[in-house]
Amino acid sequence: MAIPIEATVGTSTLQSHAYTARIPGNRGIWVGIFCVLVEFTLLFGVYFVARVHNPEDFRLGPDGLVTRAGVAITLFLLSSGYCMVKAVEVMRRNRHRAAARWVLAAILLGCCYPMIKYFELNWYIDNGGVGQRGVFYGTYYYLTLTHLVHVTWGLLGLIWVGARAALGGYSADDYSGLEAAAMYWHTTDILWLAIFPLFYVLR
Amino acid sequence: MGTAEKTWVGLVGLTLFGALLAETGHAGWPLALAVMATILVKAGLVIDRYMEMPTAPASFRWALYAFAGLLSLMVLLTHGFGEALKRLTTIY
Repeated sequence: MAIPIEATVGTSTLQSHAYTARIPGNRGIWVGIFCVLVEFTLLFGVYFVARVHNPEDFRLGPDGLVTRAGVAITLFLLSSGYCMVKAVEVMRRNRHRAAARWVLAAILLGCCYPMIKYFELNWYIDNGGVGQRGVFYGTYYYLTLTHLVHVTWGLLGLIWVGARAALGGYSADDYSGLEAAAMYWHTTDILWLAIFPLFYVLR
Repeated sequence: MGTAEKTWVGLVGLTLFGALLAETGHAGWPLALAVMATILVKAGLVIDRYMEMPTAPASFRWALYAFAGLLSLMVLLTHGFGEALKRLTTIY
């Protein structure tokens, strides 16, 4: 929201616009988001240390991963994030049923991630990719599985806000809970957008 | 097409570009720079367009930018100064 401020300096009048900053969602979710960012900063720190100490492992490692699984997870998460943007957008117009449908779409797309991960991990187990392939795979498993845990929490949050939206628990004046869940969900997107190129692409 | 749709198309396009890079199997500076750029651009799009952070408090916005920037910087540092970082992180 723009608030015009007039200030008189000497004989001239200056008009400027000060913008009142708005916290998307609520303060509580941002405590959680910053905790997640600190946690993943440390985890990525371990990734980079492991990388400089085992350059050969990290150069050859991506060849053993299923790139298509990584791409599919990225596309499903991005599409799920888009659905949450639309859910917040329609809720601002007081269309809570439409918002609930967008959240449901976000949940369904988001659920594709654990399913793909399940098949991907089974593929690695069947092809000897567990426990004996060195530090690259160790780093890959702890980072992606930790991310999966956070996505699971996010999905549980989406189920909660989806149910509340369907029951008319939000309105155009008060949708901070829905937006908070969307913020957390987008944070998991950002994390995956770093995990995907670091493990599947970079050599 | 609205902003959210354009953003989604951009993010999907960059993801497919990343997949193409992965399939080539190349290594080296061009790949490291491409990975750095895609992390920055994709995270920037999510932060600015999906999370609407330009209207959020500056400290919140810059914390998210710093996270994405730090990861990108580390890609460059590990690629260009791997040996120096290895020495710095070795416990004798």
